[in-house]
Amino acid sequence: MGSLLNDSLVIAPELFLIVSAIILLMLGSFKVKNSAKIVLYLSTITLFFVSFLELIMPWDISIIFNESLIENSFSRFTKSIIFMSSAFVIILSSRWLIRYDEKAFEYPILILFSSLGMALMVSANDLITLYLAIELQSLPLYVLASFRRDNINSGEAGIKYFVLGALSSSLFLFGASLVYGFTGSVEFFEISKVTSYSEVSAGLVVGIVFILSGLIFKISGVPFHMWTPDVYEGSATPVTAFFATAPKMAAMCMLVNILYGPFADSFYSWQQIIIFVSIASMALGSFAAIKQTNIKRLLAYSSIAHMGFTLIALALPLSPSNIQALLIYMLIYLMANLGVFSCIMSLEKSEGESVKDISDLSGISKKYPFIAFSLSIFMFSFAGIPPLAGFFGKYLIFRSAIENGLFLLAIFGLLISVIGAYYYINIVKVVYFDESNSSITKSSSKGLSITNIACTIFIIFFIIIYTLSPIAELARLAGISIN
Amino acid sequence: MVIELGHYLVLASMLFTIGVIGVFLNRENVIIILMSLELILLSISINLVAFSSFLNDSSGQIFSLFILTVAAGEAAIGLAILVVYFRNVGNIEVDQINKMSG
Amino acid sequence: MFPVLLFYIFSLAIIASALMVIFSKQPINSVLFLIFSFINAAGIFLLAGAEFLALIMVIVYVGAVAVLFLFVIMMLDFNPDTIKKEVGKHLYVGLFIGFILFLEIILMMYSPELFSYEYQIVGNTVKTSLTNTEILGNLIYTEYFLQFQISGFILLVAMIGAIVLTLRHRDYVRRQIVSDQVARDPKLSIELVDIKLKIRK
Repeated sequence: MGSLLNDSLVIAPELFLIVSAIILLMLGSFKVKNSAKIVLYLSTITLFFVSFLELIMPWDISIIFNESLIENSFSRFTKSIIFMSSAFVIILSSRWLIRYDEKAFEYPILILFSSLGMALMVSANDLITLYLAIELQSLPLYVLASFRRDNINSGEAGIKYFVLGALSSSLFLFGASLVYGFTGSVEFFEISKVTSYSEVSAGLVVGIVFILSGLIFKISGVPFHMWTPDVYEGSATPVTAFFATAPKMAAMCMLVNILYGPFADSFYSWQQIIIFVSIASMALGSFAAIKQTNIKRLLAYSSIAHMGFTLIALALPLSPSNIQALLIYMLIYLMANLGVFSCIMSLEKSEGESVKDISDLSGISKKYPFIAFSLSIFMFSFAGIPPLAGFFGKYLIFRSAIENGLFLLAIFGLLISVIGAYYYINIVKVVYFDESNSSITKSSSKGLSITNIACTIFIIFFIIIYTLSPIAELARLAGISIN
Repeated sequence: MVIELGHYLVLASMLFTIGVIGVFLNRENVIIILMSLELILLSISINLVAFSSFLNDSSGQIFSLFILTVAAGEAAIGLAILVVYFRNVGNIEVDQINKMSG
Repeated sequence: MFPVLLFYIFSLAIIASALMVIFSKQPINSVLFLIFSFINAAGIFLLAGAEFLALIMVIVYVGAVAVLFLFVIMMLDFNPDTIKKEVGKHLYVGLFIGFILFLEIILMMYSPELFSYEYQIVGNTVKTSLTNTEILGNLIYTEYFLQFQISGFILLVAMIGAIVLTLRHRDYVRRQIVSDQVARDPKLSIELVDIKLKIRK
């Protein structure tokens, strides 16, 4: 195994993450005083550092560990985003966590391990690694969902998420076993070789359908979305912020990897499924969100709708600009979500109780003008109002759809986003024009305000950032490397 | 008379179906849902072993070995979540999990 | 002929006990039927030539997972009689989903060649001098080295998760603190007091 060292150097960021997670675990368990605080700081630094490391590593293709992992510009770019958003989530959670339990140092460590799983999901190059990575990502999420042990809703969210998550993993596995049986290999290269020169057998198609239904659960696409609102509502708000950001990004990138990788030649067998899921998610997410009164349920339906929009880019034949549009859309979605959660968490109803209902937000503009301002910026961005980031994300996606001749899908998406705008703008109305609710107090911390300001700047000045910074170029490179 | 791949696949798909039905059927009792998930994983293992034997390729058996490992971890986490829930509520009936609706 | 008979016996036992798992009223019975179906599955694995997996299945599932289930059932101590069986409510949903799934799978496999002689499983043994265990061992530490490490992390996460969720430090429980016990020394714990005894005459 002379190449082991070379292979390890290629995944140096992940190795760094693993080593620091284990060191932090030791630190947390043997140092009793202030353990949560120290582990929180160090894990944030680790994640930011690893995210930076992914950007400066060489971006050329390398296939390592007996073709189990593949590193290219796509995986580097997406992993960098995933680590960054996990780091922001830890910053957001710090205040809540220390107030909840000063000794709960496991929280950041579970996030670290989950991020490791996501990184492996993005770069997995065979079915076994992919399955193990998905499990490594979701086991910490099950635990995080039921992290508030004394709260009934949290336990309930944990059970729901666990049962449905395990069921979806089993669907994925059943599909994987069929794909293995009908192609004779678990390696993505071998599978794509077999599918390229022989006709796609019925068994393989059923396998792909099972795999897709398992994966669509992870991005909460429509036939498998039922868990999302309940889990979002039941979990603690910082945990919800985590659910809404990094795992969604990882699952979407994994979907890109697997659909345009081993199953690229069976494009016509899965395109219809993706189009159906996309339309259904957009429609259900937008219509069901209208009657919601709970903020977190509203955000859950909003994330279902956004996943529908993102899937439009996936229903198109492979081209670098489509992938670029998808990645930019996801990046904007992550930043806006982090911003919204930082706003929600800076307000509280009474001591230690976070805001729950939309009506709790009424009239906060008089007391806390900046929070109200940034919240409405994020809502306008979600709705796709022109100068803000969300508009450009939607523009890129719809342009890709039109360029590839899927006019109906683009028009449908456009109509749905008008409906979606209704409930986003309704929140802005509540924040600015409703009768003030005096019991709401501010509980901001440095981390929350920093995240809030960073996300607000990103969303408002997105067009300037997009033209000046290398983000567009990086995303384009990432798009090129998928083939 | 010999045993072919098809026999194994039919056995695995029957077991898979029973497991899925079990998940949807036993909404009164979470612990049986967890057992149904184990049954589903068993059916997948049977599938993989049959394919592995048929293809004369060991990666299927390795896959099923890893599934076995993960299933053990998953069972531990699932039971831990169940214990947490039981401590709060005092029973494990999923049908009563209706605090949140919509 | 004998292996064929064995296959049918094992499969019937698996299906029957799987049905008992999901329909049984007492969770304890379900666990025992689960164990039974795993042991029969081990038999099926043996017929397909996967000896190592067959035995590890018995060790891991029967020895660890099933015992864990039994332990939790005993610990939670819920009364199964209070769990009302409203089967009718979900039966149709469950059966419908199951029927669709089964139909889909059977349709996929409606290809007669899968049941032909070339697709024989039993008796199709690998012709090498290595045993099944040796083959798996050789692969798992070389070609599947990375996956092996990842599965180790999964077990670590499962351990952390189970501890986070269930460990509770109660203040009223008196614990043994080994370091304190070891650090005791006679000077601190035993005080010698001179007692002046008056001897009465």
